[in-house]
Amino acid sequence: MRLTLLIRLLPCFCLSYSALADTSSLRAAEADDFFRAQIAPILQTKCLRCHSTEKAKGELDLSSAAGWRKGGTGGPLFDADDPAASMLLDYVTGDDPLMPESGPPLTLDEIELVRAWLSQGAAWPDDVQLTPPGADLDWWSLQPLAEPQVPQLDEAGLKWARTPVDHFVYQRLQEQGLTPNSEADRRTLLRRLYYDVTGLPPSFEEVEAFVKDADPLAYEKRVDQLLDSPHYGERFARYWIDIVHWGETHGYDKDKPRPNAWPYRDYLIRAFNSDKPYDRFVKEQLAGDILYRQTPDGIPATGFIAAGPWDFIGHAEVPETKIDGQVARNLDRDDMVTTTMNTFVSTTVQCGRCHDHKFDPVSMEDYYSLQAVFAALDRADREYDADPEIAEQRRAYSEAISTLEQQLAALRQTAMEQAGPELKQVRESLAELETTLPTAQSTAFGYHSQIASSADQAKWVQLDLGQEVDLARIVVVGAYDDYNNIGAGFGFPLRFRIEVADDAEFKANMRTVLDRTQTDQPNPGTRPQVISLDERARYVRLTATRLAMRSNDYILALGEMQVQDDTGAIIPVSEVTSLDSIESGERWGRQNLTDAKFYGAPEQRETWDSYLAMLEQEASLTASQIPVEVQQQLAATEDALNARKKELSELPPKQKVYCGMVYTGSGTFLGRGAEGGKPRDIHVLDRGDVEKKLQLVSPGTIPILKDSEDPFDLPADHTEGDRRVALAEWIVRKDNPLTWRSIVNRIWLFHFGRGIVDSPNDFGRMGQLPTHPELLDWLAIQFRDNGQSIKSLHRLMLTSAAYRQSSAHREEMAEIDSSNQYYWRMNRQRLDAEAVRDSVLLLSGNLNPEMYGPSFQDFVIQNPEHSPHYEYDLYDPTNPESFRRSIYRFLVRSQPQPFMETLDCADPSERVPKRAETLTVLQALALLNNGFMLHMSATMADTVAQQASEPEAQVQLLFRKVLQRDPTDDEQKLFMSYLAEHGLANSARLMFNLNEFVFVD
Amino acid sequence: MQNYSEPITPNSISRREWLWQSGGGLGGIALASLLSDQFSDQALGATAAAASGGVVQPLHVPAKAKRVVQLFMSGAASHIDTFDYKPALIEQHGQKWDPGEKVELFQNGLGNTLKSPWSWKPHGESGKHLSEIVAPLGNCVDDIAFVHNMVAKTGVHSQSTLLQATGFQEPGFPGVGAWVSYGLGSMNKNLPTFVVLPDHRGFASNGAKNWSSAFLPAHHQGTVLRPGTENPINDLFPADNDFISNRSERDTQKLLEQLNERHQAERPGDSRLEARIKSYELAARMQLAAPEALDLSGEPEHILKLYGLDHGMSSFPKEINPVEETEYFGRKCLVARRLLERGVRFVQIWSGNDNRFPRRNWDSHEDIARDHGPLAIGMSMGAAALIQDLKQRGMLDDTLILWTTEFGRMPCSQGSTGRDHNPFCFTNWLCGGGIKGGVTHGPSDEWGFKPQDREHPTTCYDIHATLLHLLGIDHTRLTFRSNGIDRRLTDVHGHVIDELLA
Repeated sequence: MRLTLLIRLLPCFCLSYSALADTSSLRAAEADDFFRAQIAPILQTKCLRCHSTEKAKGELDLSSAAGWRKGGTGGPLFDADDPAASMLLDYVTGDDPLMPESGPPLTLDEIELVRAWLSQGAAWPDDVQLTPPGADLDWWSLQPLAEPQVPQLDEAGLKWARTPVDHFVYQRLQEQGLTPNSEADRRTLLRRLYYDVTGLPPSFEEVEAFVKDADPLAYEKRVDQLLDSPHYGERFARYWIDIVHWGETHGYDKDKPRPNAWPYRDYLIRAFNSDKPYDRFVKEQLAGDILYRQTPDGIPATGFIAAGPWDFIGHAEVPETKIDGQVARNLDRDDMVTTTMNTFVSTTVQCGRCHDHKFDPVSMEDYYSLQAVFAALDRADREYDADPEIAEQRRAYSEAISTLEQQLAALRQTAMEQAGPELKQVRESLAELETTLPTAQSTAFGYHSQIASSADQAKWVQLDLGQEVDLARIVVVGAYDDYNNIGAGFGFPLRFRIEVADDAEFKANMRTVLDRTQTDQPNPGTRPQVISLDERARYVRLTATRLAMRSNDYILALGEMQVQDDTGAIIPVSEVTSLDSIESGERWGRQNLTDAKFYGAPEQRETWDSYLAMLEQEASLTASQIPVEVQQQLAATEDALNARKKELSELPPKQKVYCGMVYTGSGTFLGRGAEGGKPRDIHVLDRGDVEKKLQLVSPGTIPILKDSEDPFDLPADHTEGDRRVALAEWIVRKDNPLTWRSIVNRIWLFHFGRGIVDSPNDFGRMGQLPTHPELLDWLAIQFRDNGQSIKSLHRLMLTSAAYRQSSAHREEMAEIDSSNQYYWRMNRQRLDAEAVRDSVLLLSGNLNPEMYGPSFQDFVIQNPEHSPHYEYDLYDPTNPESFRRSIYRFLVRSQPQPFMETLDCADPSERVPKRAETLTVLQALALLNNGFMLHMSATMADTVAQQASEPEAQVQLLFRKVLQRDPTDDEQKLFMSYLAEHGLANSARLMFNLNEFVFVD
Repeated sequence: MQNYSEPITPNSISRREWLWQSGGGLGGIALASLLSDQFSDQALGATAAAASGGVVQPLHVPAKAKRVVQLFMSGAASHIDTFDYKPALIEQHGQKWDPGEKVELFQNGLGNTLKSPWSWKPHGESGKHLSEIVAPLGNCVDDIAFVHNMVAKTGVHSQSTLLQATGFQEPGFPGVGAWVSYGLGSMNKNLPTFVVLPDHRGFASNGAKNWSSAFLPAHHQGTVLRPGTENPINDLFPADNDFISNRSERDTQKLLEQLNERHQAERPGDSRLEARIKSYELAARMQLAAPEALDLSGEPEHILKLYGLDHGMSSFPKEINPVEETEYFGRKCLVARRLLERGVRFVQIWSGNDNRFPRRNWDSHEDIARDHGPLAIGMSMGAAALIQDLKQRGMLDDTLILWTTEFGRMPCSQGSTGRDHNPFCFTNWLCGGGIKGGVTHGPSDEWGFKPQDREHPTTCYDIHATLLHLLGIDHTRLTFRSNGIDRRLTDVHGHVIDELLA
């Protein structure tokens, strides 16, 4: 298409050139037009991203004529004498053009246009200033916040208005020729307020009391009371969960559960109930582990980063070295970036994964710089102390341990220095010999006990030498296993003793030849432990009195045990017995303890003999040559160290939360822990393809603030946490116009059923425009500058006349504004899935109000070991364990709970800033027939029957409970005959299916 | 006469019995009117789409198809053991396989070249070679267009299943059927527009995410139908209880409607209140229509035989076997035909659960012959029957059938008898509804390792664009704005494959 234009334009251009050769001004005008129409768009889309005033790579600024004429570090790009030899063409032409560095090369048509432009003198009108594509900040949401004047109202307006919010609303109504409704009746108002703030209905008695309350602040008092209710946090946390798409399974294939995700949900409930200032709330979720590590919220808050789905196979079964592994990790970071930017600044950055944002100032480079912020992280369980006191103790003990360890190292150094050259020499020879030992083992690892749940259990393993023999030496070698990254010394006991005896039961004439049961011993790894003795016995037993930790459990494992006589010959072992054992095929088994196969076993027998001799010599020199007082000091320090370690181990176990963290893994899923948390290198990926890496990017964000300095001006040795802190700090900057508009809009949407900007996750050019821009800004500034209290914001909205007005329809208003975007009435709202379920539980008398803790599961898990299937229809809906509020329901991704899903519950695979509200056949069927509904109807019937015996009173009670009002005479009559025929359970079921129950006026 | 005071529970009498007895009373809707609605819908023919509430009005291009059946082989069906004939594998069998480049495998087992355990034969006028395990489709090859150069984006089941099912690798996007429902709307009043028949042994990877409506309105999501169970649709009938009877049900509907109408009368100007009243009427209609559609008892002998349902067996061996697989897949295909006849627009049939053991899915890492044999025989029997049955009823012309899977399998062996994932090449086929039969498009290389022309593979975007095109929809114009992005089934990709069009 460009080529056609060129052909159409060029002849005309040339013609005018020759025909009007003397009318230079006109000629110049033609050339200017050509530049504007044909060349400027090419420069803008292909060059300006890197060569503009904001960012002049190679000192080249192609945004103005001056910059063009100047050129970059390589000089001017234009050669007026020989336009065809201009450097610009060298850069952009050829099979593999140098420029553009990222993104598609110039098309052939575009190159022809550029050639033509150069050949005609490369005119660039002085008044044409180019801006980088998409970086255009001329958009409402990117304008700085400026406090608008609260509008002045006329008398009628002043009479209606209750808060400044109403001034803005009324003004807009008036502009449109609309008038607001008057206040809703008190029953309606209270029901609305209860559902809105707590997600539960008021009782009939509460409604009655409110209706009769003469206090002029009766309503305001209810608002405060409800915002103080713990149920408020339970309701509002669910809204946040929708937005950040938090769930408790990974999603994708093998949708495994996340049993430790719930602390993030509890964090949200606490945060909202305690009215945490918003900037703190933002910073905690992005970098609480860095900024507020010592608080109970710091780490659980980072559950935010891991809220979304995670591809288990793509991470745990495919390594990062494979393409599929890289694809999975790219998508994983994409999820973190997208959730962060959609949630906090209502910006759809995710387009940048494959191309520059077509409409908003988000380039691919900006997008990948956001990925770089999260590039060290993975999703995993992280331990933390929910109790700050325990956290402090743990910190103190850890500090003491590290001090003692340093002291011990210094003492050992002193000891060595005082011991003289002999010991030093032996140790050097030992070290030298050890470098020659193999760093491998056969598939027969050694002996491995059964797993114990605590460390302080005794476990033993013993050798039967067949007959009584003279024993000169016992050698014990630690095992080696990479399990849980343990490696050398795997399962080596912290405390143990070695005994010999003549009977297998160790009852008579038992002699202890080594006792290391008083203090914890350092793990010797696979260095042989040599015990010299002079005994005659048939049996040798090693008893561990404190076991080694494996992951969350404890074991005894050993690589090899050897007994020698005084000639150094190995005494054959006729049988190995033990308290217990894991006999697992090749690796572990009792017989592997004496098979001469172990990690580091030298190939030559002579090497082994001299190794043992050296070890013995070292031990005896250590004992004889180190001064007694130093040995005592060493022992005392070791004791102190062990005591601290014991105290540390006796602290209550840590809580876990599934969150974004620097993960240290083994096998396929490694994380960045082993790299010291160094972030992965992030490149711009051409069209999002992991195999097409373009330039490396540094951490950053979208360029929407006119910054004098880079918000990510991080030192070269910054940590990954610094990146997240920088992003969080940027988000909560007072001059970030998006952050404050975004959150107040969400609260408005929550109460009014539509946002001032009705695309809450997108304030860009593809989003909606604000219906009340001044109100939005006024709210944003109020919020930002007055403590960032979300509860105050609720109060501001809930006490407004706009909120308190009735939802009654007026045809003449509807003709002007049928969708009610100006709020001439309150929006009637359908109860969401949680409100339906929780109300039914409450009204039927079944609700268990217990807060916090692990989620209840209203499904049966099948096939948990491979890919769990969450079978809801196998769960007994009458099981009271599931009678808690819906916020405590275990949220599965692959198989959403069918009843809740049907009622438009948010899907944790998607970010849902605004719930869908549909009315479907399946909803009718669910409310009529679902086992939960039928059980609740039946139990409600029992409750009603207990509280009222006469049918008349029963009908009244049903109405009072479900609708918080008395039935009309007519309704009473209709219901009486229905009740008589079909009973209370059917009546309760019918009530729960009424439009009046499901809609809030 | 049924005793009305007797409590009715799912187990006390059969659903069917209950329905036919109480049908006349439910919401005052007679079966006769129900059925006549269906037939009148059918009679509306081509105009039905336009009259049924889809967003594409008028259609962007003339439609060839009105209905779609998507057959999805979960676990990744091997193209080179079914539809993509590779003599080179026979010639080079047992030799070291060297395609001259690095082969990235999913599970690291680069074995020797492995020929298919089955023989191949040409079929039909087109002479299309089929492996013997899909030979039942031999009768249909002249109606089928094969695409052998499909490529996926990863060898991870979940992402690749999502890609074929929703056009995106990550969860959170509508299934193809949901897009079609959104675009064209419903053709019936009593059944869902988009029906999913999962493998009854379990969902595929991602579960219900594969047929989710995601950001589209909820009624476009796939409704799972479980033929032969007490509640073929969730909550279609009351769960266990001791208080609901036929008569209470009728009176409940009546009083509910009365009270809801009073409530509505006091609240004019809110169409949702009316819509909700209507939804209860529709629910009652669905209680009648769904079991009727799923009831195969009236199907004649020769039809049951056609679908391979005449085996006469009531129990099956423990090991995977062709008769049992035919029973499962064939029955779903027959149900699909009945649903299509009743105006369901999009039916998705799954073969294979997620990739667990014992294998009842196509993920044959260990033993191609053991799993692919029975699964493919069952699948091809059912699919061939469906094609022929639709054809003899004149419905194949406007019903599009798409056979797909998440990716293909490798030309080399894993172990000695299995095949690893091959995301670089696999096969799709399409049939009916404006598809040119007897066509083979986009060949793979000599081993079926990668497309022959690597620069021009076929992607799911192209298949989806073609599918929408045949339904009268320009894939670039079927959009829905979600979180600031105009979303499409085909993202920013996709070309209609003209070579496949009749």
